Amino acid sequence: MLAYTLRRIAQLVPVVLVLTVAVFAFVEALPGSIVDTLIGTEGGDVEEARAILTKEYGLDRPVYERYALWLVRTLQFDFGNSLVTRRPISTELLSRIPATVYLAVVGIVLSIVIAVPLGTLAAVRRNSAVDYTAQVISLAGISIPEFWFAILCVLLFSLYLGWLPSSGYVSPLEDFWGSLQFLILPAAAIGFRQAAFTTRLTRSSMLDELSKEYVDTARAMGLPERRVIFRYTLRNAMIPTITISGLQFANLLGGTVVLESIFAWPGIGRAIFEAILQRDYPLIQAGVLVLGVIVVVMNLLVDLTYRLLNPRVKLA
Amino acid sequence: MTDEAVKKGPEHTRRSFLTATTALAGAAAFGLPATGPAMADARKRSPKRGGTLRFGTRDDSVGLDTHRNIIYFVSHPLTGITGGLVDFDDKMEPKPAIAESWDASADLKTWTFKLKRGAEFHNGETIDAQSVKWNIERIKDPKISHAFTRSVVSGVERVTVDDKYTVRFHLKEPDVALDINLIYYPVNLMAPGAADKADTEPVNCGPFKFKSWRRLDRCELVRFENFYETDAEGNSLPYLDGLIGLPKKEDRVRLTALRTGELDLIDNVAYADAPAFKKDHGKTFETWPVPQVGTAMMFFNLKNGLLSDKDNPDAYLLRQAIAHAIDREGIHQAVFNGIGSIANGFYSTASPWHPKDIEPSSKFDPDKAKALRKKAKGGDERLTIIANDTFPYMHQSGELVHAMLKDAGFNVVLEILPSPVMLDKQTKGDFNIDSTANSYRLDPDGWFGRNILSGAPENRRRIGYKNEKADQIIVAARQERDRAKRRQMYADVETLVNRDLPMLYTHYVPLMMAGNRARVKGYTPSFSGPWSYAGAGMRRTWIDG
Repeated sequence: MLAYTLRRIAQLVPVVLVLTVAVFAFVEALPGSIVDTLIGTEGGDVEEARAILTKEYGLDRPVYERYALWLVRTLQFDFGNSLVTRRPISTELLSRIPATVYLAVVGIVLSIVIAVPLGTLAAVRRNSAVDYTAQVISLAGISIPEFWFAILCVLLFSLYLGWLPSSGYVSPLEDFWGSLQFLILPAAAIGFRQAAFTTRLTRSSMLDELSKEYVDTARAMGLPERRVIFRYTLRNAMIPTITISGLQFANLLGGTVVLESIFAWPGIGRAIFEAILQRDYPLIQAGVLVLGVIVVVMNLLVDLTYRLLNPRVKLA
Repeated sequence: MTDEAVKKGPEHTRRSFLTATTALAGAAAFGLPATGPAMADARKRSPKRGGTLRFGTRDDSVGLDTHRNIIYFVSHPLTGITGGLVDFDDKMEPKPAIAESWDASADLKTWTFKLKRGAEFHNGETIDAQSVKWNIERIKDPKISHAFTRSVVSGVERVTVDDKYTVRFHLKEPDVALDINLIYYPVNLMAPGAADKADTEPVNCGPFKFKSWRRLDRCELVRFENFYETDAEGNSLPYLDGLIGLPKKEDRVRLTALRTGELDLIDNVAYADAPAFKKDHGKTFETWPVPQVGTAMMFFNLKNGLLSDKDNPDAYLLRQAIAHAIDREGIHQAVFNGIGSIANGFYSTASPWHPKDIEPSSKFDPDKAKALRKKAKGGDERLTIIANDTFPYMHQSGELVHAMLKDAGFNVVLEILPSPVMLDKQTKGDFNIDSTANSYRLDPDGWFGRNILSGAPENRRRIGYKNEKADQIIVAARQERDRAKRRQMYADVETLVNRDLPMLYTHYVPLMMAGNRARVKGYTPSFSGPWSYAGAGMRRTWIDG
């Protein structure tokens, strides 16, 4: 297991290197320039200002030189300063990532808490009222756009009932209970949709596992049904669920821009989106790279989890 | 007095222990800003004082250095920290701020400003002539300042210090409007001693002090106890203990947060929501329609392409055809929901600079538009409209104009683009029509001198309009002290613009603000929407309850 883990980590190095090239190339390919954005218009000395800023930001150097410089700095965890706010990018990212991770973790946990019992129950009681209800709920979750569900939640729980704030963010480190008030609606909006996918996946995986011979054998040996389901079947059925949830989590870290706008949630997705609009190259590069590395690491963790769930899975 | 204020009890600054002077009391009785060495002497606490206002804004500053970045005074919470030599009132007329008086030489090339004694930056540094000189030189430095801010003082050749409280501006050319251009937006003053922290902990001289900022999330400001301005009773301003800016980009997110009580005040109520909101919730929430100096328009590219007289002998015919094809009443109804009014010039009727006698631009006449298009060379060739994706009314107007031109038989495409791409296309002349808007030119020279004058950088970059007569009038207007004459001069330029069609004014851009009636007391936005201005606005707002 240790050798396998180390080997997998070593394999990540070229993946991350390719990622850095892709990130840098993507930013280079963006039309428009940070310099034009910063100097604005109407100045009588625009050309002079452009030359000054281009030199200050090193944009007059060849692309390969800038890439090499950026890579060396990045390897030292020095992302430089934002070209727009002029503050360290590490500060900008660190002020955003916790909010995003907080939302994504709670959203995913919520989805698993809903989906696994519901999917399992639907499979075990196939074609029953429970099964049909679970399928209708999950179909609704998949069909209703996340942003629309979020707006409905705001209307009901904030505007009409007045139970929860409609938008904003409070850090759990500053005020844990206060932060939960702001978290519930966005996390529910994420959790409901993700739970819809995961419920269907868990149900189909469970049905697949329940039809296998080892389940019949376990039942023939007189094992209690609860043990057959939860000890043996569910454990095997969780492998695809864990895979999808892991990838969903990684996706949520950068993919909740719309929800972040609806709930005015200061997440990393919105920060990168704004950086793209303003062509804040180092912030885009650092943000996308960090998210990319998280996705890669999440994939690794998902793979390692297989083994924990089912020791028969071979680690090649 | 609020409960919070009651709990705190009387609060004194070191200055409040000083004795008030008779002169100051006289000034205060008339509601004038306190001036001179005893400026802060009569500071006392208003019974209205207190509370922290939660302000939901559409936008946020991109950075904290108030010279390097534009601090937009309608929608940036950070505006509260900025102050300058000159302030303005609710009519957008210049008022004393750090400068208590000023005058210009006979040739309008030298302006002398007398500074208030005792005025301070937020860190306690004295605001003197040397610090003003340092600020103007910093703003003029292309390595540091934003071009918009720099352009306002581009006519300043040098600044000299006469004595500790007298500063002199020497101009390259005569300029009757230098004082208005030195209003805190954008020419604000920051503490020279804190310049190295301008990007992290800005120290300025506005009514509020900086406390913290997380971009597009939260901006916290606290009252500057030694702010120079007082109310009519001599109470120190601002009344508020603090201000929390909570940028929420989506208009309906802000409106919902106001209705749920999470915000006290919001800017930019969406046009589509404003009438129903006022009707359904008018008892709970105040809505302020703000008189505007902002104007939406279609710029035509005269530098190159189909609408340029250089490249197409029938370009003027095509521009006329386009003007006749555009139904501005349709834009008024569909984009602005019937709010505001159709524009024929840059300055709206609410502005003291609204021109009285101008020749309006072409009327909506689709048949004439079709006939002119057919007659003109290049009438079947493809036209490109570009529009910025940031402001909804710009791209919505672009969409409508696109449809109207299609109806008139034009072969036209619309591109809705982010700002960096827009800038690139404008500079390269890679468009024919630009759906845009312009605002906050407090003095007409700010608009005509920077956008219509043929030598103006923005005109050269983006439009390419040249009319020698217009140029002569604009330059002459810079030296005209008589206001009525000056207004007529700009009206004459407007007539030329409406005739030549380098652009088509479409609509005055209205702005709606809304606040909680029960909590927000004493607030009124200024002309064109700034929330910090002399004598009122956020400086005289307090929170009840």
